[in-house]
Amino acid sequence: MSRSRALRLSTMLGFVVVALTLVMPVQGQTPKSGGTLNIMLREDLSQGFAIHESSTISTVFPAAPCFNNLVQFDPAKPIESTDTIVGDLAEKWSWQDNYRNLVFFLRKNVKWHDGQPFTSKDVKFTFDLLREGPDAPAKLRINPRKDWYSNVEAVEAPDAFTVVFRLKRPQPSLLSMLASGYTPIYAAHIPPANYRTSCIGTGPYKVKEWRKGEYLDYVKNPDYFIKGRPYLDALHYVVIVERGTRTAALQAGQLDVAFPGETTKAAAEQLKKAVPQLVITPVGTAVTDNIIMNGKKPPFDSMKVRLAVSYAIDRRGLIQAVHQGAAVLGAAMAPKPYGVWGMSEKDLLTLPGYGKPADMKDKARKLLAEAGITAQHPLKVEMVTRAIPLYVDMASFVINELKQVGIEASLKQIETAQWHAVATRGEYQIGANLTGLGVDDPDANLYENYACGSPRNYSFYCDEHVMKMIDQQSQELDPKRRLGIVVAIQKKLEADAARPMLDHRIDYFTVWPHVKNLVPHHNIYNFARMQDVWSDK
Amino acid sequence: MKTYIVQRLAIALLTLLGMSIVIFALLRLAPGDIVDILFSTAGYISDSEKQAIMKELGIDRPYVVQYLDWLHQIVTGDLGKSYRYDLPAWEVIRPLVPVTLELAALSMIFAVLMGVPTGVVSAVRQDTALDYALRVFSLAGLSMPAFWLGMVIILGLVSWFAWIPPITYVSPAKDLKLHAIQFLLPALAVGYRSSALIMRITRSSLLEVMREDYIRTAWAKGQTGRIVIWRHALKNALLPVVTVIGIEFAFLIGGLVVTETVFNLPGVARFLVQAILWRDYPVVQNLVMFTAIVVILSNLIVDMLYGVLDPRVRYGG
Repeated sequence: MSRSRALRLSTMLGFVVVALTLVMPVQGQTPKSGGTLNIMLREDLSQGFAIHESSTISTVFPAAPCFNNLVQFDPAKPIESTDTIVGDLAEKWSWQDNYRNLVFFLRKNVKWHDGQPFTSKDVKFTFDLLREGPDAPAKLRINPRKDWYSNVEAVEAPDAFTVVFRLKRPQPSLLSMLASGYTPIYAAHIPPANYRTSCIGTGPYKVKEWRKGEYLDYVKNPDYFIKGRPYLDALHYVVIVERGTRTAALQAGQLDVAFPGETTKAAAEQLKKAVPQLVITPVGTAVTDNIIMNGKKPPFDSMKVRLAVSYAIDRRGLIQAVHQGAAVLGAAMAPKPYGVWGMSEKDLLTLPGYGKPADMKDKARKLLAEAGITAQHPLKVEMVTRAIPLYVDMASFVINELKQVGIEASLKQIETAQWHAVATRGEYQIGANLTGLGVDDPDANLYENYACGSPRNYSFYCDEHVMKMIDQQSQELDPKRRLGIVVAIQKKLEADAARPMLDHRIDYFTVWPHVKNLVPHHNIYNFARMQDVWSDK
Repeated sequence: MKTYIVQRLAIALLTLLGMSIVIFALLRLAPGDIVDILFSTAGYISDSEKQAIMKELGIDRPYVVQYLDWLHQIVTGDLGKSYRYDLPAWEVIRPLVPVTLELAALSMIFAVLMGVPTGVVSAVRQDTALDYALRVFSLAGLSMPAFWLGMVIILGLVSWFAWIPPITYVSPAKDLKLHAIQFLLPALAVGYRSSALIMRITRSSLLEVMREDYIRTAWAKGQTGRIVIWRHALKNALLPVVTVIGIEFAFLIGGLVVTETVFNLPGVARFLVQAILWRDYPVVQNLVMFTAIVVILSNLIVDMLYGVLDPRVRYGG
């Protein structure tokens, strides 16, 4: 072995060891009980603890310690897949009748924070509420994930500790969606609206005080069903709306844990320089930058124009210029190692916009010319985006790229209050958008963002063949075959420029070294329970 | 005097009524409402569901009805319910008021303590090196926005001392020392700007007074410099200074947004911005009305002070 090769190998080995040290749970150290963790929030809880009425990290991250799911993604493993799902309120589960029934066997020693016993009634209540079934006991004010349960025919509770999900057809993904941070179990004896202001959960922590706009305090739940957990006595979430102050508070040690998705590469480098002992872990966020084009209105009802837009944007340039390298290429699903359903780099290179920028732009010009758009007759459009820097930076880059192929786009910033209304109603031509995925699962993503008629299908893309493929992958039981279909769908979506994906964002999740067992996942929504986290302070 | 106060209060009431119309109208003119925001956190919008929530919150009613309802709430002391938090608005606003009042008052105290003496020194030592230095100092204060200064203070502290003031509000009852530390720096950051203004007004006003005949007479009678300046000149020079202090205090109540945000103080101003972003009408309307009341009251107090400082001032009936 040559010296340089040996050096390369040892360097790689070093990186692997460091990476493993960062992401693996602390082995060999006995967890200590006690202490308080000070955790960053960038805004107040959006809808209190009503996770089922919200789709934002600002709700799910601080509300998660109050709740439990039926199952969850193993908190100790950063990657999330059906293989990393472990029990939570369900001790075990079993697929029956060729994946038509999913049976859960519940824990028997679980109590709600108000002392009431947890039973299968609570599970049935929660999922009847979510799927808005005929026997739904109540209605959520807003129900963003109703579609996740559209294949559930009935939820039955044959006895106090057994729950059966009867499905219309096999759907292995259901388990992943049940493991998402967005799927906590509500108490049947509490009106769902109450969760907007207070929280009665079964989780490891009980709400002590929520000072609006200021902080949220939890204390350890002494009756938690896992003996000896949680380790921490309390959690103190502090709302700091100013980014500079948040970073300073973390640097000064007033905060122990950063907000997921908050730390950019530049901020991480600055923090590491100032406080070398900080533990910074690069992880996927499950948030993508993408372009939405209104397929119902000219000029983007033309496939050629949509494709030209996709070809025109230099993804690698965007990653470097806007994210300073803190993002990765990928199509609809997160690429490896951040997800399990993404396309390989080789496959990605075959997609529109992923080749050499100059070649791609030539193709874009050619397509535009075929659609009658030339330098003499440029296409003038209005690009909308949400009026926050995260969106505007990306939109500005895209506008510059489009200009190079003969599309003159002016930027229109839309206030947050209006953004989703504008997108859902199709009151736009083209937009720079961010999409967060609650779980790295094709069903959750594809039905939500690409299915005909879905309210979050902002581009109004609707293809019968793709719908068939989405249904087909959804019930495919062989993971390899399913991956093949999912990859084919992603190719087709990019080839149709349904919602051209630009990148998948990376977070530099930061904690102080005394924070143990808080393993960030490659999905910001699913590791906030804090059940196993302890402090070595 | 009594008649004057009654007249002023009557005018204040009319002003508040006008303000209420402006606040109400401006809020409704802003695009979007609370329901759009709620759906925004869910990532989609459904027009039928939106209508149901609007009905639940009462914002589907005609504007006139909503406005009169709000006025009725103010008169009866019930400020309505926060849309965002589903709690009585007063319950949400109550803890914020003392924080902002304390910060504004402390800032003003700093501003007066720094501004008046430096203004006097600058006037007395006109065109000396000290005067130039103090004028540069004050000009810098006017040029630096408080939020920028606040951010620089935070970044400087964390870079040099790896320390910043507490980020969670510490009540004086819990820990007076920590509370003082928490308020000291933001009060200084805000007070510096105001002190610069006060210093310049004090200087120019004092210079004008110093040229008056009665000051020359005082010097001719052999009075000491301290007596001439502090007793005869400054008292008469303070009238415009008091006006500025009143205006600055009123400005601070609404203008502390960024300072409260940078130092993470849970005051009215910071919360107001969040409430506006959420289109939380009951909270915004009442917070702005609160600010308007403080502005009107501080102006009234300033007017009253004129009479104390200058016996020539008479309050007409």
